[in-house]
Amino acid sequence: MDFLMALIVLAVILVGAVWLYIVRQGDAEFEFLVNQRTDFSLVELTDSKATFSCKVSFVNKGTQDGTIMDAYTRHLLPYEQCDAVEVSSRLELEAAPRTDGYFEALIVPKTTGETVNVTVILTAKNGTITEALKQMVDMPIDIVYQIVARGEWYISKNRMVMRAKEIAQATDRRSAV
Amino acid sequence: MAELELVPVRTRILTPDDNIVDAIAEYAKNNIGPNDVVSVAESVVAITQGRLTSPEELKPSFLAKVMCRFVPQKGSLSSCYGMQAAMNFEGEWRMFFAMIMGLFAKLLGKNGVFYEMAGEQAALIDDVTGTMPPFDKHIVYGPKDPSGVAEEIKHRLGCYGAAVADVNDLKRAAVLGVTTGLDPKRLAQILIDNPFGNASQKTPIVIIKNYAEVEAKAQAKALG
Repeated sequence: MDFLMALIVLAVILVGAVWLYIVRQGDAEFEFLVNQRTDFSLVELTDSKATFSCKVSFVNKGTQDGTIMDAYTRHLLPYEQCDAVEVSSRLELEAAPRTDGYFEALIVPKTTGETVNVTVILTAKNGTITEALKQMVDMPIDIVYQIVARGEWYISKNRMVMRAKEIAQATDRRSAV
Repeated sequence: MAELELVPVRTRILTPDDNIVDAIAEYAKNNIGPNDVVSVAESVVAITQGRLTSPEELKPSFLAKVMCRFVPQKGSLSSCYGMQAAMNFEGEWRMFFAMIMGLFAKLLGKNGVFYEMAGEQAALIDDVTGTMPPFDKHIVYGPKDPSGVAEEIKHRLGCYGAAVADVNDLKRAAVLGVTTGLDPKRLAQILIDNPFGNASQKTPIVIIKNYAEVEAKAQAKALG
């Protein structure tokens, strides 16, 4: 009986020790620092199209290395709110630029991070883009990312807003030049 | 006098729809001679064999979730999906037993026991990011019957020999399968500088030119 009790106590201690080890080990924890993003700047302007870009940093603030399996932008501009432009958007790693919208899975060591370039292309549905942009409103853009680390994979997102005022200022700056 | 020359061969990205021997014939046949050895990257052989999965397709068990915590972060089994993928091939309890033995061995100062006991796949699995797009989001297993693949390459292309190799930029080379008569350790030594390059999916084939001639001369010299 004593032997059995000793075995049970040993098993409980062992399970407790493993649990404590895992809790102390922690996991990766990612955040795109959308509040610290740079202003959108106008990269290209044609009669019908305007391309804007900004930089957003991300960090793995957890205690373990983690992998960003995928990351992409999701812009939210329903035609009920603004029917003047068509939107496309993408992101790419600043350190490994590519224009196909593909995000190559990336290991991010704990307490480190990198930067992505977010590109937004606005195309006028009718007339010139300069005229169309006068109807532009604030547009939320989610950065959506899929993470896998020690635990099960998950999808998370951080939201930023591309302000109509910011678009106008970037366009005005370009016009002034 | 003939010298060893390593010739990487660039291909398109090969997929599970490809046959590795057909691909070698398509891209390298004209450059392969009877004295040459054809080596091919193991991850690409595995991909053409369809030996890959993704985290979304796996349901990690409780055991996988706990055991992955005891693998150093850089290892492919450090995520519960890498661990589960290995368990699916090698068996959950075999992996568990190997880990217990590995932990005890480590306490006694001996490393590598886990990988020795856990089975081939535990060492060969490439976790997410281990391969180039479009397979960077996949877990790639080790190839099936690498020696059989090597024999098929030799038979089809008329080369001196063939090998399936796992080489990386960290000066680690392992030859997983060779045709009869070839020395895997000698081949690993030749491939140690990773002629496949960092992106081995773009240059998955390396022709070791003049291998037979150079080895024959070296043997003759050794015999005096």
